[in-house]
Amino acid sequence: MRYDQFTPYDLVLLLQGLGVSLALFVSTTLIGLVIGTLWAVIRFYRVPVLAQMVAFLAELLKNSPVLVQLFLVFFGLPAFLKINVTPTEAAVITLSGNSAAFIYVIAVSAIESVGRDQIEAARVFGLTRWQILRRVIAPQAAAFAIGPLTGLLVNQLQVTSLISVIGVMDLTKVGNILNLRTLKPFVVWTVVGALYYLAAKLVAHAGARFEKRLRAHTAWKGL
Amino acid sequence: MKFDLSILAKHVPFLLEGAWLTFQTCLLAVLGSLILGTLVAAARTSASPQLNRLSAVYVDIFRNIPFIVQLFFFYFGLPEIGIYIDAFTTGVIAMSIAGGAFTSDVIRSGILAIDPGIIEAAQVSGLKKSTIFRKIVMPIALRASVRPLGSVFINLILTSSILSTITLNELTGSAKIVASQTFRPFEVYFVLLVAYAALTWFVSILIGMLHRYLNRNQAEGAV
Repeated sequence: MRYDQFTPYDLVLLLQGLGVSLALFVSTTLIGLVIGTLWAVIRFYRVPVLAQMVAFLAELLKNSPVLVQLFLVFFGLPAFLKINVTPTEAAVITLSGNSAAFIYVIAVSAIESVGRDQIEAARVFGLTRWQILRRVIAPQAAAFAIGPLTGLLVNQLQVTSLISVIGVMDLTKVGNILNLRTLKPFVVWTVVGALYYLAAKLVAHAGARFEKRLRAHTAWKGL
Repeated sequence: MKFDLSILAKHVPFLLEGAWLTFQTCLLAVLGSLILGTLVAAARTSASPQLNRLSAVYVDIFRNIPFIVQLFFFYFGLPEIGIYIDAFTTGVIAMSIAGGAFTSDVIRSGILAIDPGIIEAAQVSGLKKSTIFRKIVMPIALRASVRPLGSVFINLILTSSILSTITLNELTGSAKIVASQTFRPFEVYFVLLVAYAALTWFVSILIGMLHRYLNRNQAEGAV
């Protein structure tokens, strides 16, 4: 007997897939934010050797397909280092690294957007380097970076769909399973696409609201 | 395990075959997305509200749904409605449609950046609408958007690796075969990563040259 009809349970399966996609998206974004910002700070302090290495690594990660990075981590690393890597671990490592490379670029330009004169003024007032980074640069750079960051995150959400290729049960994988079982590609992929679309809109909306809050102190309040 | 690239030597011709297929898909997809993008950008900036809305919906949908979902939609869906085409054609069509959405956004911003005085002058001179678009608007808009168009096309090259999931043995697809034949996935995918990075780096240099050539008569610092 073949279950070639849609069942109510399929809805649960789709939502489960969406949950996996979103959970991986959020966790890899957070890890990527930490690593990417760290790399940008390394560049800000002009740490010798390390700064050049970071720039090269980010360039390599930005200019190669995520699918190939995924294969390198999932198939390559276990064979090379004789370790076990589960699909989820491979997905987290790859997506975090990829996000970090793009966030690094945004963070660097955000730090550079803060005027040199402000840093000089802060130095004259006797602030330490950490205080300058934390109190002068960070708040302004965050407000500058949030716009491009939202665009990037909408993109990264779509990149998560690639992890279905190495067998993570995300939304695309669930779509694949339903497609093979019911043989109704138009219905299945339209629903999966709509779910991704809604998630992307949600991210864009959240980004816009957050940007408004970060820019609240510079907004025109009227006389 | 030792890092040994020499085992790849006898698989190089096979990989180059894959690279040739990647080149063909990318070239056709770039052409397709350029044509589609120009048409959609024209519709997006036209005076007709219906065309405006229609093109905005197209761009919104194809930018916010992962490419792999779009690809599966076409690859599994088209045979359902009686259209039997091979993976290569499906891949080129899907890439053109997805790329067209990004391209149209770039060209649209190029069109919107044109000084309205230029278009008014053309209208006053009695030129037809189509002549204004072909001879005045498009040359200026395309010339100004060579760089952003270039980054869209580089992204398209990276996206082409996803076509390996629909049984098309382009560069990534043939690397997958080589990896399973040699049992050296780390070396194979590492070389692949570097190859893609080198390829996109080379393309970005070409785009820089094209940009300088097309804008050679512009004032220093302008555009």
